[in-house]
Amino acid sequence: MSGDDRSGGARRRGRAALERLVRASAAERVFISTAALVLSMAVGVVIVLAAGRMTTCGEAAAVYFGVGFCYDPFAVYDSLFLGALGNPINPLFRPLEGQFAPPFRRGWSPLNGQMAVTLRETTILVFTGLSVAVAFRAGIFNIGTQGQLVVGALATALAALYASPLVAGLVGTLVLIPFGLLVGALSGGLYGAIPGALKAYADANEVITTIMLNFVATGVALYLVAGPFKDPASAANETVSLPGYAIFPPVVFEPRDDFSVLALLFGVALVGGVYYLLEHTAFGYDIRTSGIQPEAAEYGGVDAERTVVSSMAISGALGGLGGAVYVLMIIGNYQTGIPAYGFDGITVSILAGNNPLGVGFAAFLFGVLKSGSIVVDVNTGAPPQLVGVLRGLIILFVAMPEFFRLLGRRVVAIEPERPVATDGGRPGDGGDDAGAEAGGEVDE
Amino acid sequence: MATAVHLDGITKRFPGVVANDDVDLAVRRGTVHALLGENGAGKTTLMNVLYGLYEPTDGQVYVGGEPRRFDSPRDAIDAGVGMIHQHFMLVDPMTVTENVTLGNEPRKWLGLTVDEERARREVVDLRDRYGFDVDPDARIEEVGVGVQQRVEILKALYRGAEVLILDEPTAVLTPQEVDDLFAVFEELTAQGKTIIFITHKLGEAMHAADEITVLRDGRNVGTVPADEVTREELAEMMVGREVLRTVEKPPADRGERVLAVDGVSVDDDRGVEAVSDVSFSVRAGEVFGIAGVDGNGQSELIEAVTGLRDPTAGRIVYRGEDVTDWSRRRRIEARMSYVPEDRHERGLVMDFDLTQNGILGSQHSDEFACDGRLDWDAARDHAETIIEEYDVRPPNRRAAAASFSGGNQQKFIVGREFERDPALVVATHPTRGVDIGSTEFIHDRLLALRSSGVAVLLVSSNLEEVRGLSDRLAVVHDGEIMDVVDPESATEEEIGLLMAGEDPSDGSGPVAAGATNEGGR
Repeated sequence: MSGDDRSGGARRRGRAALERLVRASAAERVFISTAALVLSMAVGVVIVLAAGRMTTCGEAAAVYFGVGFCYDPFAVYDSLFLGALGNPINPLFRPLEGQFAPPFRRGWSPLNGQMAVTLRETTILVFTGLSVAVAFRAGIFNIGTQGQLVVGALATALAALYASPLVAGLVGTLVLIPFGLLVGALSGGLYGAIPGALKAYADANEVITTIMLNFVATGVALYLVAGPFKDPASAANETVSLPGYAIFPPVVFEPRDDFSVLALLFGVALVGGVYYLLEHTAFGYDIRTSGIQPEAAEYGGVDAERTVVSSMAISGALGGLGGAVYVLMIIGNYQTGIPAYGFDGITVSILAGNNPLGVGFAAFLFGVLKSGSIVVDVNTGAPPQLVGVLRGLIILFVAMPEFFRLLGRRVVAIEPERPVATDGGRPGDGGDDAGAEAGGEVDE
Repeated sequence: MATAVHLDGITKRFPGVVANDDVDLAVRRGTVHALLGENGAGKTTLMNVLYGLYEPTDGQVYVGGEPRRFDSPRDAIDAGVGMIHQHFMLVDPMTVTENVTLGNEPRKWLGLTVDEERARREVVDLRDRYGFDVDPDARIEEVGVGVQQRVEILKALYRGAEVLILDEPTAVLTPQEVDDLFAVFEELTAQGKTIIFITHKLGEAMHAADEITVLRDGRNVGTVPADEVTREELAEMMVGREVLRTVEKPPADRGERVLAVDGVSVDDDRGVEAVSDVSFSVRAGEVFGIAGVDGNGQSELIEAVTGLRDPTAGRIVYRGEDVTDWSRRRRIEARMSYVPEDRHERGLVMDFDLTQNGILGSQHSDEFACDGRLDWDAARDHAETIIEEYDVRPPNRRAAAASFSGGNQQKFIVGREFERDPALVVATHPTRGVDIGSTEFIHDRLLALRSSGVAVLLVSSNLEEVRGLSDRLAVVHDGEIMDVVDPESATEEEIGLLMAGEDPSDGSGPVAAGATNEGGR
């Protein structure tokens, strides 16, 4: 074989791998993601060791093969993942060494404070991830989830504030929280419908309009909370805090954890709801058809304009709900400087392959990484920038297979061999006419 | 004469399928060889083996007498074998020269930049040598399909191809362009090139080829010289039984007027008027045919009727109601069925499986959606009914539409549209790319619908098909109906003249010269 043969073989293997990836089953995709996670950690270990060698420190954090390192990569990953769950593992539990102490650390409870941080982040990211995913499925790249979240948060904070004197106590909670969520969803939905309408009726690219509307949202919100709706008692730009009964009750966690299982359950219910909407309703069918093949959707009687507007409204409503939960569960008013949950939602959605069911898991992974970073910062000497690198690596590695699937679907679709590989039916039907249109007529 | 390509005992198996079974094929240098067969006979698979896209399970490929083993198309190209696929692999915004040299550009300045002058010179030389009518500086998006095909051929020649494989090269061409292509074949073989082309059209194989090899069910049924065989013999080889029947239909039992198109004008995508002041009507129980060279406004007219395009003037009346402003969905709900021209873009969602595709257009109907909730069980049953009734193969409703061959995709679309209980069926090229057996079946179903009182509007560029099925036949040219003729009494010549824009009765010459050539898209 010549060198040329080898490069041809490599190309073919590459294409075969891409095809394999596109056709991977759900179980295989979970396996691929897990393998990617492990691989990213292997690379991360090397980076942490290298960074540890290049730093000067008084005392080595770890010594491997007689060489001292300033940061111990295993301690870093231990803190990143297990720290996010509140360090559940008993140090005496070493099954590999034949020590079968109880696996969980004494005194560990799944309801610990760090777990609350993890789940709190997860909850918000479920909303923003779903928001991006719905738009994606309709073929729209909604970068405006952040703006929709800001609008939803501000509207909720103000509406709940002005409604709170009318009710109080348990009744207040029962009324104000659904009311706040509704306001968040409606305002976010309306704000999402604007770029939807611009796209549908004025052919304006949604990527541009949503990015611009993000600035508009943050700018207008800043003006409002710095001026008309500013809390006079505060030096910061924020609204008056909501009364305690307007805040999500923590249920099984501590109130100081700023996390409510109810909000998480609401998010999980929405995951199921969005999945149902997309897969089991005629409207979801319209959305998915427009998303992957607009011409076919038009042929099938789908009103393209209306579908764009309504899917953007749903997307915006989910983003707005994220903002409402952020206010009603975490901060209790509107303050400037809302974290970039909306942008993280884009990554969450891609990580999940834009599948609502996957969004739950992807949001949890993100929650773990965010919360674990704090633990790494506290427990180990590793600088936050280094932890940022490790987080980025994990996301990059886990998202890449999904990203290649998205790309590969297009590549594989135009490859001539694809139909044959899946055409397996009767003998002789070996995929002539491979997926291509055999135009022209049969004689006579 | 020397053998340019020799395939010896090629077998290609896919999981569960034998696509090629011990096929021998010898192609003489400097000849045109047609590979003829129905959909799924294994023609494309065999050529993909020769082109290095597939590795044969068994057998040996010889090119120029040498045993060869190709790992990729690049190896095949290096050995002088070039292939032109059905879908052209050209970069639209780039010029002809850029496309031809793409990947093999002559370089200058230590290979840092493309030597554009030399590239252009080489392309011009190549073009002149083979007498192609191609402007090297035109952009691909500006030239017609026929020219694009010639660019593909130039591309293969530029890479040193001695053997050219063309997969269904005439599928996208107008009759005029087909003639041009065959002239190109002659020029190429005169200069010692060898051509293998895949087709399922008997006439073309007989017309253009020196030798014809017929494949059926993955086997070589025989190789015959083109001038010593009859159409009937070839057809029998293709399907393994006698065919070529003429369509027999009872006289039309015309009912009320179902569709009336009244003075309709329609613009195409570029805003140019494609249909000018067209009027006709279709009654229940009749087939109204529209014949014409592709691209003479048929697509735009049909899209106006089915609600995919707004007419700029005129009215469309359907079952007594003015539906000009009705949405596409409303027309579907009013029992208007439509077999679209482009099954990949419109007719099927390629990533959806057949179950999901089976409800395309009916996703809001009571049958499949109760209060907006989809009834997937009903959709599954529906897909299985279509698959069974219309013989879609493989019979797997879970497989993505993209994984089916063109003919089977078409059968599924036809099935879905015919099973809608329509009052009007608009069918554009309903048997395009479908094999003979299935074509007969689709024709039978169309006539059965007609007998049951459905109005049928049929558009086809296949003259035999529209003549055989239609009760009345409108011939269009350049966006206008030249005449409505009785397909039984009008001769092929008369219809041909009308299609070319000439009025056979007065012989005054072309009505709008040149418009026919710009046809297909």
